[in-house]
Amino acid sequence: MFTYYFRLALKSLRRTPVVAALMIGAIALGVGVCITTLTVYRLMSGNPIEHRNDVLYSVTLDNWDPNQPWDDKQPELPPTDLTYRDAMALQESDIPVRHVAMRKGPFVVEGDPATGVKPFLIEARLTTKDFFPMFDVPFQYGGGWGADADRGSQRVVVLSKETNDKVFGGEDSVGRPVRLDGKDYKVIGVLAHWEVTPKFYDLNNGSFRDVEEAYVPFSVGIDDEVQSAGNINCWRAQPLNSFQDFLNSDCVWIQYWVELKDRNQAEAYQSFIDNYVREQKKLGRFERPLNNHLRHPDEWLKVNRVVERDNSVLVGLSFMFLAVCLLNMIGLLLAKFLGGAPLVGLRRALGATRKAVFQQHLIEVGVIGIAGGALGIGLAALGLLGVRRLYENYDALTHLDMTMALIALAIAIASGVLAGLYPTWRVCRVQPASYLKTQ
Amino acid sequence: MEFRPILSAMLRNKTGVFLVGLQIALTLAVVANAVFIIMQRVEKIGRPPGIDSANLIFVQSYGFGPNYDHRDTVQRDLDMLRAIPGVVSATSTNGIPMSGGGMQSQFGETPDPQKSNTVANLYFLDEHGVDAFGVKLIEGRAFTEQEVQYNPSPNNSDFVPAVIVTRDVAESLFGKEPALGRTVYDTLGQSATVVGVMENMLGAWVSFEKPSMVMFQPRIPNGPTVRYAIRTEPGQRDALVAEIEKKLSESNLNRAVTWVRPHTYWVERSYRADSRMVAFLSVIIGLMVCVTALGIVGLASFHVSVRTKQIGTRRAVGARRIDIIRYFMIENWLLTTGGVALGALLAFAFSHWLSTAYSLPPLQPMYVIAGVGLLWILGQIAVFVPARRAAAIPPAIATRTV
Repeated sequence: MFTYYFRLALKSLRRTPVVAALMIGAIALGVGVCITTLTVYRLMSGNPIEHRNDVLYSVTLDNWDPNQPWDDKQPELPPTDLTYRDAMALQESDIPVRHVAMRKGPFVVEGDPATGVKPFLIEARLTTKDFFPMFDVPFQYGGGWGADADRGSQRVVVLSKETNDKVFGGEDSVGRPVRLDGKDYKVIGVLAHWEVTPKFYDLNNGSFRDVEEAYVPFSVGIDDEVQSAGNINCWRAQPLNSFQDFLNSDCVWIQYWVELKDRNQAEAYQSFIDNYVREQKKLGRFERPLNNHLRHPDEWLKVNRVVERDNSVLVGLSFMFLAVCLLNMIGLLLAKFLGGAPLVGLRRALGATRKAVFQQHLIEVGVIGIAGGALGIGLAALGLLGVRRLYENYDALTHLDMTMALIALAIAIASGVLAGLYPTWRVCRVQPASYLKTQ
Repeated sequence: MEFRPILSAMLRNKTGVFLVGLQIALTLAVVANAVFIIMQRVEKIGRPPGIDSANLIFVQSYGFGPNYDHRDTVQRDLDMLRAIPGVVSATSTNGIPMSGGGMQSQFGETPDPQKSNTVANLYFLDEHGVDAFGVKLIEGRAFTEQEVQYNPSPNNSDFVPAVIVTRDVAESLFGKEPALGRTVYDTLGQSATVVGVMENMLGAWVSFEKPSMVMFQPRIPNGPTVRYAIRTEPGQRDALVAEIEKKLSESNLNRAVTWVRPHTYWVERSYRADSRMVAFLSVIIGLMVCVTALGIVGLASFHVSVRTKQIGTRRAVGARRIDIIRYFMIENWLLTTGGVALGALLAFAFSHWLSTAYSLPPLQPMYVIAGVGLLWILGQIAVFVPARRAAAIPPAIATRTV
């Protein structure tokens, strides 16, 4: 019966090709626009470290101005970053499984004069050793450094795949020297291609920036007084006349994360940071009320409002557009089905049950939904092609993933069937007699 | 023409009329809000930058290694840049206006740090700074060579003897009183004299509520990073970008020339989110208007087809073609009017949601009125094609199938 109804549906659609095209087109447009904006939204609101979400926490302490919150719009939030002295104090704790203090800094890479690579500036992450295992950083060659490098300022470096391609032509460069800012470093690792969208571990310096081009031990950056390439925010009026002054200041510029294996450990760590701040209060620091937070990556992305409000507005508008498309389709379907009412009257008079008529029309609607959905996926792919020209550095936008395609198809069929229910119901109520009379 | 028979004819197809009316309502709600958002963004993008953006080039140089002499490099670079034909003026600078990155600090009109509530975006420029940025001085003067400070230590809390501020900063510090010659204090209580007041220019962050809080300080930025702002003769910019890049990277091997870019690069980048929103919304509006127009055509065509006999009868009893066309035009006008009445309510409800959830400004009624006009015209155009087909129905059809 199904194949018969399916053939009937195709036949019916072919009978009114313009109306059929309009209906399929309307669904396709609505779905295409929705999927395009949803894809962008999903990318922005994604959590790239979802699989480690339960054990990772960002650490924030409120050392800000007693007279003014860090963020006027969200006065309950402490600064996103820590001061140097607080970060170093937290490093002393042995509660967490892992912990990382880090920042961003510029380095000039001197190419090999023989290969003709000119000196170029890169952004490096100056970090303690746990960065790599905590954030599941993929390595192509070698690996990260150990505790000795964090203590002893060894000049070692991990390069991104892109930097390694540029300097070493993509070869395994582990063990080879590279000159950064006029000093010799030893390459100990090369990353595989790594994309993190949004860049959850450093939201204070652009949530959608690319990951850094090299990784250097945090302590090396302090010993060599490497300037910071990220934002530095200060509130206290205090003279800063040396690097040491700066390190002792209340300026915030260090990102801090911990890995805690379970709830007990998380509670222990929370009381550790609270106690630390209480101690500091005795020294005249931390004049604001106690406001220290451990946040999982998903919550961290949310409180920092990483998704642009524009994207949410666009998703809302696209669904209104989809509604208009569906209304349009219902109207056309109604006209079409009621136009075919005499035929239904005839079939009913010949003994077709209401259920059979209902099924037949529902299958027709389903066909429209599937065709609209398939075309909609095509339009969304086209739309994303256009969107990619509007965004910079969003490689993840280059494809419509399978989930999105399935969602598109589901939306199309569900909305098609929903939209088709009323016209189908209407046509089933046709009284056979009223149509047979005028024949 | 009587409205009553038209209305009662419409009521015979309640569902169809209701569907298209709802479509028109939703379209109005979306179009009015979307156009309102677009206009805000277009206005934001179109604000005058206050600097000679179109003719400016920015360069970044980063020195490295033991042989790098920052002060000497900056002097040599600037001498070389200023001598290039086509260059109007050049200065060293720490930041780039409208780039989204920069430095800001607090100032006050008294030495009391508790009262320094004026936050200004800082540019460290030399005596050519005013000319190189192309800002307009309202009163006072540019910096003199003697005022320009240089402290090689990257960490220092020195202040400068003189500052130049925008009109907005002057007003924030001194209210309506004249600012020229007055003293400003930093948070450490150090003082400087206001030697110039300039017309507002946009600072580093274009989306700030008060984007024109800008202060110039006479300083050479300490190394190893330095940027140069180079103002060119109109039309020379693009040719000079390549020339400057070549000359700078050849002149000194102890530094990397990170980039040489026209200022419009940052302008475009800073406004990208806004231009993106304009593009997205325009596409949605365009598609929505098309779909709604098609819906109107569809409904009218359906009405024409089910009323063929009735139209033939009317023609047979003396109605002219123009009467038939007019009938459908009026029917559409009634439908659109009903739709936009509901749509106006929806538009304000939608705007209310946007302003509470996303703190967007509330919708101005003007946009709804314009939207109503647009939909009236759109409806009339859309219905014209099926109406003309209806008018072509011959009177003889009335006699055929009875």
